[in-house]
Amino acid sequence: MKKKTFWETCRPYVMIGPAMIGIFLFVIYPMLYLVYLSFFKYNLLNSAMSRYVGFENYIQIFNRPDFYKSLTNTVIYTGGVVVLTMLISLFFAVWLKKQTRLNYIIQAGIFTPHIISIVSVSLVWLWLMEPNLGFLNFALEKLGLPTSQWLQSSKTALFSIIIVSVWHGIGYYVLILVAALQGISPNIYEAAELDNTSRFRVFRRITLPLISPQMFFILIIMTIGSFKVFDTVRIMTGGGPNNATNTLVYYIYGFRTTNIGYAAATGVVLMVIIGILTFIYFRLMSKKVHYQ
Amino acid sequence: MASIEFVNVTKEFEKKDIIKDLNLTIKDGTFTVLVGPSGCGKTTLLRMIAGIGPQSSGAVLINGDDVTAVAPGKRGVAMVFQNYAIYPTMSVRENIEFGLKNNKVKKEERNQLVESISAAVGLTDYLDRKPSTLSGGQRQRVALARAMVKEPSVFLMDEPLSNLDAKLRAQMRLDLIELHKKLGTTFVYVTHDQVEAMSMADTIVLMNNGLIQQEAAPEEIYHEPNNLFVAQFIGTPPMNIGELGVDGVKFGFRPESAQTSDTPVDEYLSMEGEIATREMLGSETLYQMKYKDSAFMLKSNYAFYKVNQKIHIGVPEDKIYLFDSEGTRIRKDHERYSSYLEVLRGY
Repeated sequence: MKKKTFWETCRPYVMIGPAMIGIFLFVIYPMLYLVYLSFFKYNLLNSAMSRYVGFENYIQIFNRPDFYKSLTNTVIYTGGVVVLTMLISLFFAVWLKKQTRLNYIIQAGIFTPHIISIVSVSLVWLWLMEPNLGFLNFALEKLGLPTSQWLQSSKTALFSIIIVSVWHGIGYYVLILVAALQGISPNIYEAAELDNTSRFRVFRRITLPLISPQMFFILIIMTIGSFKVFDTVRIMTGGGPNNATNTLVYYIYGFRTTNIGYAAATGVVLMVIIGILTFIYFRLMSKKVHYQ
Repeated sequence: MASIEFVNVTKEFEKKDIIKDLNLTIKDGTFTVLVGPSGCGKTTLLRMIAGIGPQSSGAVLINGDDVTAVAPGKRGVAMVFQNYAIYPTMSVRENIEFGLKNNKVKKEERNQLVESISAAVGLTDYLDRKPSTLSGGQRQRVALARAMVKEPSVFLMDEPLSNLDAKLRAQMRLDLIELHKKLGTTFVYVTHDQVEAMSMADTIVLMNNGLIQQEAAPEEIYHEPNNLFVAQFIGTPPMNIGELGVDGVKFGFRPESAQTSDTPVDEYLSMEGEIATREMLGSETLYQMKYKDSAFMLKSNYAFYKVNQKIHIGVPEDKIYLFDSEGTRIRKDHERYSSYLEVLRGY
C-alpha cells in the first residue's frame, strides 16, 4: 500500500479544525468551566479572593429545601407541558391531516404563536390572566364559570405558566406530527379498512406506531426544553407567589450575583438530571419506537 | 365464491368523469384481468369492488347484492396492493392475523390458519421477522398470505407483480395461476402489462379512457380484436398498421403472420422492403422492415437477414385485418369488405 503523505494524514483534521475550535470554545470549555466554578466559593469583585471549597456547594444544594421546591416545580411543569403538548398536538395533527385550504389556514394560525417572541407572549398572557381586569376571567364570568386567580395564587400560578408554554409550543409540534401523518401511505389505511379494523384500533395499532419516532423526538426535545424553562417564569411571576413557580433555571439565575459557585453547582446538577432522564427515555422507549 | 356486476357505474374525480355509465359482469370463479394503459380507469374499478374508492353513481353488485352501503371490511373481498401495503410496524405473523383478530377469530383457529397459509406461501421461517428485513418477493408473499388467510370470496390484485424482477415475476405468474386453480374463487387482477393479462386471464377486460374496448378470452382478443386500439395494445410487438388510402381505412397484420423470403412471395399482400433493425431474441428474431414511408415489424424463425438487406414478405388474406376511419374493425360481413381488400392487391 502507498504510504500516506504528511498532508494526507493531516487533511481531515485540518478540515474539521474550524468547527472543532468553535465547539471547544463555545460548548466544551464553558461546560468544563462550569464544573470548575462549582468547586469554588467565587468572589465576583476580586477573583483572587475566590476559595476552593470542594464539594461544599453540592452538599449545600442537597440540604436546602428551596432547591427541592424548585426541582419539584420543574418536574411538575415539565410533566404538565410534555403531556398536554403531546396530547393536544396529536389531536390537532390528526384533525389537520387532510390537506384542505381551511386546514392550511388553521395550521398557520396554530403555528403563529411559535414565531412570536416568548417575552411578548408572556406579557400578553400576563394581561389576559389579570384576575380583576383580564380577559380570561371576564370570559369565564360571562360564561357563568368560576374565575381563577391565575398567576396571583400559589395554587394556580404554575398551571397558568404551563398553559402559556403549551399554547406557545404546540404549533411547531403539530407541524412535525402532521408531516409524519402525511408520510404514512394511504394504502396502509385502505388495507386496514379491508381488514375490517375499527377506527380506534387503526389509531392504536397503525397510526401511533408509525409516528412513534416523531413522538419520541418530541418527548425528548420537550423534556429537555421544559427542564430549562426560564423566560415565562422571569416575566410572568418572577418565581412567585411564594416560590410556587420557582424553577431550576430561575433558581440558578437568582444566585447570579450573590453566589456564583453555588449557581454553577446547581447548573451541573441540572445537566446531570437531564442527562439521566434522556438516558432513561432511550432505555425505556427504544423498544416502543418503530424506525423503518 | 362470488360474481361481480357493475351497473351503470360512473366515477367522477375533481368534476371529471373517469368512468362513465360502465356495465360489466365478472363471472363467479373466473380469473379476470383488467388491462389498459395507465389512467384508463382499471384501478378505479378495482377500488370500487373493494369499497375504498366508491363510485359516484350506479351500483356495484357482489353475488347480486348491492354493496354500495357495505363497509370494505364486510364485503368478503381481499386485496393485494401494488406496494403491498404491509403494516410496517408489525411482524409477518401479526400482519397475517391482523384481519382475523379484527373479526374476532379464536386464537387456536387463528394460529392454525396462519401456520397453514404461511406454509403454503413459504413464509414459515419468517413469521417473527419485521417486513423491513424481507426481500421484495417475500413481502409480496406476506401481502398474498394476508389476503388468503381471510378466505375471501373475491381476490383483488392491483399490479401485484410490478415491483418484482423479471424472473420472480414469471415465477409468481405461475404461482398465481395455480393458486386460482386451487382456490377456485373469483380473481380480479389489474395490470398494464399485456403479457401478464394474456398469460393468466380467463377473461381479459381491455380498457382505455374509462371505456371497455373489448371483453373476451385471451385467444379471442388476440385473434379477433374489436378495434384498432385492442389490436395495437395486445401482442409483442403489436399489430402492424398501414394506411389503405381509401376512406381513411387502415389495414393490419400480426408480425408473425408475414412470410419472409429473399425472393418474391406469392401471397395476397406482398411487398418488398429493406430491413432497418434486427433484434435476436433466441428462438425467434424481430426485424423492422422499411417499406415506402412506413415501417412494419416482422417476427421470424429465420435469424440471418442482415440490416439494410432487401427482403420480400407475404401475408395471406385471412391474416389481414381492416379498420375503418374511427378505428372500428371492418368484419367480413361488411358490404365493402372485399372492395377494401381488393385495394391491397396492388399495395
